[in-house]
Amino acid sequence: MVEIILCGRGGQGIVFLTRQIGEIVAAKGLNVISSETHGMAVRGGSINSHLRIGGFFSPLIRQGHADFLLSLDPSETSNNRHYLKPGGLIVENSPEPPEPGIRRVNATGLARDIGRVQLENVILLGFASTQDGFPVTPQEIRAQIEKDRREQVRDMNLKAFQAGIVAAS
Amino acid sequence: MPSQNDSDVRFLMGNEAIGRGIIQAGCGVAAAYPGTPSSEVLQSLVRWKKELDHSIYLEWSINEKVAFEVAYGASLAGMRSVAVMKMVGLNVASDPFMSAAYLGVRGGLVVVVADDPGPHSSQTEQDSRFFSWFAKVPVLDPGTPAEALEMAVRAFEISEKYQVPVLLRPCLRVCHARQNVTLSKPAPIANVGPFEKNWTRWAAIPRFRLVLHGELNEKIEKMRLEEPESKPVPILNGSGNSIALVTSGSVSSHVRDVVASDDRLKDIDVFKVGMPFPSQADALQQIVDSHEKTLVIEETYPVLELQIMDRRKVEGRLSGAVPPQGELVPETVEDIILKSLGETPTEREAPKIKSRRPSLCAGCPHRPAFYMIKSIFDEAVYSGDIGCYTLGINMGAVDTCLCMGSSIGMAGGLARTPTASNGTQVVATIGDSTFFHSGVAALINAVHTGAPFVLVIMDNSVTAMTGGQPTPGNPYLADGSGGKPIDMERLIQGCGVDFLEVVDPYDHDAMKDALEHAKKHVFEDRNGVAVVITRRACIRAPNAEIPSQRFRIGDDCDLCMTCVKDLECPAIHYVKGERRMEIDEDLCAGCGFCVSICPSRAIELKGA
Repeated sequence: MVEIILCGRGGQGIVFLTRQIGEIVAAKGLNVISSETHGMAVRGGSINSHLRIGGFFSPLIRQGHADFLLSLDPSETSNNRHYLKPGGLIVENSPEPPEPGIRRVNATGLARDIGRVQLENVILLGFASTQDGFPVTPQEIRAQIEKDRREQVRDMNLKAFQAGIVAAS
Repeated sequence: MPSQNDSDVRFLMGNEAIGRGIIQAGCGVAAAYPGTPSSEVLQSLVRWKKELDHSIYLEWSINEKVAFEVAYGASLAGMRSVAVMKMVGLNVASDPFMSAAYLGVRGGLVVVVADDPGPHSSQTEQDSRFFSWFAKVPVLDPGTPAEALEMAVRAFEISEKYQVPVLLRPCLRVCHARQNVTLSKPAPIANVGPFEKNWTRWAAIPRFRLVLHGELNEKIEKMRLEEPESKPVPILNGSGNSIALVTSGSVSSHVRDVVASDDRLKDIDVFKVGMPFPSQADALQQIVDSHEKTLVIEETYPVLELQIMDRRKVEGRLSGAVPPQGELVPETVEDIILKSLGETPTEREAPKIKSRRPSLCAGCPHRPAFYMIKSIFDEAVYSGDIGCYTLGINMGAVDTCLCMGSSIGMAGGLARTPTASNGTQVVATIGDSTFFHSGVAALINAVHTGAPFVLVIMDNSVTAMTGGQPTPGNPYLADGSGGKPIDMERLIQGCGVDFLEVVDPYDHDAMKDALEHAKKHVFEDRNGVAVVITRRACIRAPNAEIPSQRFRIGDDCDLCMTCVKDLECPAIHYVKGERRMEIDEDLCAGCGFCVSICPSRAIELKGA
């Protein structure tokens, strides 16, 4: 059983990440349930997704239960930190150096280098997938991204995903 | 929805699962009006139709009342049909909904009504299960996306068996949850045969309505006894006689996880009711009688609790054990249960939340429209409406927001007060989709009565807030097939409006002229309502025209903050420590309106 909170601002692609992980897990025959933000908040407001793998019925993670907090915006990390369990790991999009319990990658900067700031979510996913205990492997995510039939989107996503993995090594 | 693959398991959003259930049940007609959290049901039907090459007829109706009537008509003509809306949409559709319960249906008729406890994106926390009790219509209350699919299929069966409409009530936490869901093969489109004339039923006058009411009561009593969903079903077994917990719908999933994860709660017997109305009151009473205490946890009204006749050993909303408002999230559920058992509550660090407020997108055509309204009508009362443009509150350009279409009706009243006669002007703002939904009748009323106000219709060609569904102004329908576009100017002229101007909201000078003309027409020349259409596609719409030009802030900037405070552009921010303003190139959409309104003319075109 793994519980993950993903957070950021509306428009950063939180729902996309949640779906990628969920689809991989569902295809493996495991139970997975998630919850996402829609409506007015997606107009640049604070948003988060909850993703729970295992025998859960509720799509919501209780405070102090999440194994991972993936944050696309450092100012949103603190809005969601209370979900993390003691010893849980924060994976954050930030140019700052890592600290105990927080791994960081400058996903925005790397995405800009690739030429599309919107790829920051995929870079963060690549980076997170190398962390101990993360429920999906880089190989599984790569295979998932390769399923996209839109060639240009697929290639950009693969490039961004690889950049995230390289940044972790 | 994942792209096509061979597996019959998908990671589906609750609304997509409901769409799949509708298809699997052999439904032939679906009509909806978008509204969070219901919008993805019809959107998913568009995709299922394409993926399965299915012949279901789909429409985004002009409003929920019409959506219900379209579905009802199809049902009388023999088809299984569905109307989809959010819970406040059922208020709009309540007239035909209540009446249809008496008349009954032919082909199975399901009304999917999404509730929004919280509320997260709605005006109220109303419980559609209560509405269904009021209308004497059975309601199914799913707890997860997978169950929502099964219940969608069951809803059609129950509807056809008893010839009543059936309400399917998913809450937001089902609608916008995703789960691994197993799909089945769709049944062929069902048809119980063509419309059969019978005016005593389908056009019943009051004398026959009394008979029909009796028939409806009989149907409800029969399904209360015969349908398995009306019974409380044990979902977690405890010790058997100390504590019972009765629950329903999406909150039942929180209850199940909370109880299963805590050893202190292992004595609790948990029961779930799939059909909270009509439920088997006798079976509920038996649970209460055979336990020392029964806790009822349901959202958002005490529907099950009220059906228990002897509530002396019951704790719930009526006893005060469950908070009377607000969403029941897992933490709340945990607190309620632990408190009821006399256990120590879970200690939680108070979350330090500084939520970012939502804002109109950079480049949103509504922003310059609001800016100009504020600058031309500086002392006005701004009668607002429901859509993205409710966010005009951030700019101080929306003072009221009641319900869909109310901006125009309310402006008619705001303009009849002593403040209005003393010179306070009234300006109403409404989007194109909301205008078509319920603004037209109010405009006719305003024209006929000579109501003195300015109406700005912000036409961005889509229902933007809910994901860009097409409005009647477009030449295509929900599934992309051709539709006749409604010419808004002809419509407005047809309503009898004498003053009408259409402008591009990006065009500062044209906006200024149009609003000044409208102001003169109404408030100086003492005419009735003037209409200005600000027309430019939503920057997220398929037909959006996003300029490639970008801008920079030059040295003449004196940090007056007009661009941040009055224009409220999210792409411009103050750089701390450097005492300067900066345009975020990732966010800027190149509208260039900041150039026109900057008091020190400090914003210039890049590369110019």
